[in-house]
Amino acid sequence: MKFSHGVLLGLFASALVAMAAPALAADDPTPVINPPPTAKDWADMAKLPDWNGVWVPDALDQNRQRVSNPPPWNDKAAAKVKFQGDEQKAGRPDNFFSNCLPEGMPAWMLITHNSMQFAFTPGIIYMLGESDGSRLRRIYTDGRPHPDDPDLTFHGHSIGHWEGDTLVVDTIGVKPQAWLAISESQGVPNNGDMHIVERIHLVAPDRLADTLTITAPHVLTKPWVTTRYYDRTRRRDFDIVEGECLEESFKPDVDKDGYAVFTPVPLTYDGIRVPTK
Amino acid sequence: MQIMRVSMTTVRAFKIRRALVGAAVLALTAAPAMAHHSFAMFDPDHPTSMTGTVKELQWTNPHVGLLVYKDVKAGEAPELWTFETTGPGNLTRAGWTKRSFQPGDKVKIDFLPLRAGGHGGELQGAVSLTTGKAYGKGN
Repeated sequence: MKFSHGVLLGLFASALVAMAAPALAADDPTPVINPPPTAKDWADMAKLPDWNGVWVPDALDQNRQRVSNPPPWNDKAAAKVKFQGDEQKAGRPDNFFSNCLPEGMPAWMLITHNSMQFAFTPGIIYMLGESDGSRLRRIYTDGRPHPDDPDLTFHGHSIGHWEGDTLVVDTIGVKPQAWLAISESQGVPNNGDMHIVERIHLVAPDRLADTLTITAPHVLTKPWVTTRYYDRTRRRDFDIVEGECLEESFKPDVDKDGYAVFTPVPLTYDGIRVPTK
Repeated sequence: MQIMRVSMTTVRAFKIRRALVGAAVLALTAAPAMAHHSFAMFDPDHPTSMTGTVKELQWTNPHVGLLVYKDVKAGEAPELWTFETTGPGNLTRAGWTKRSFQPGDKVKIDFLPLRAGGHGGELQGAVSLTTGKAYGKGN
């Protein structure tokens, strides 16, 4: 079969349209471009407070706050939290983080015992957690608004701005499954429509406070205001290390071809290791 | 002499234990893999302690594990205990390294027992009776 040039060109044009059409349909006709940082943007970074170093959460204070300032749970959530507490006392804790999905927001800020660090860049502040691999928050400080219809994520969509030396962070778009937790075995999923405002600032040269106002209309009767503290270390031997949540479920091994591999290890029902061979 | 006797006991313990743990593993492999658990299955109201011989320090995230053969009387069945604590980052800041405990080291463990019973606990502190160094539990 033989095609004329015209037919071939027509087929070629159709193919081009076919290839381009899906992309055109998905693209914003006027995409917003993140501008490259200028020398002034970088110079302005130097005016921000110094939050370098490793921030260690004050875990003892977390425990105190669980008692002294509990969330204003609605009746249904309060019943669940009480049940979890009773189960815990009976030796059956509700290990809802044991699947190794991210703790997400706001649980990471509320209950973790693992350290974190900040990275300031023009337009984005990053929070990098020590454990669980995917503990990462991006806080946009370039003046953008929240998206109208954000894809829901474990850490939500965060925008921030500075009020003096206080970083104010506004977060929406958190998955409804993300836990509003007061410990690793007490709490409820936020069930959606959560809004979190954080005011983060130094209260002493090496002590950082994060005051969270959490609005979670499906599980709380009113916004919950609570503060978590972090203490700074600058020791190099205390730098953040890699931490993968699922690593404990595996052991270093060698396969039949002599390659170093991980093989699964059995864990007990409550998540601790079965003594291995 | 003391150390020699301990290691002989340990060798015997290894052999007997294999049969015991084999059965336990079979019974438990059907359970879903879980990590990053709460420490709420450990009982803070009944802290206790024991001495034993280190089998292995598993220096891993999210929970470091110290596996210890409990000291038992002659003729008693060996007991391998698993003590869990926080991860390598937090333990490093509490003075630990991955070499803090070597297999065969004598150790005294302070721990919170499993509420449900069993040979496991949350480590609260560990003293190497071999090196004399004491280690806290980290954040």
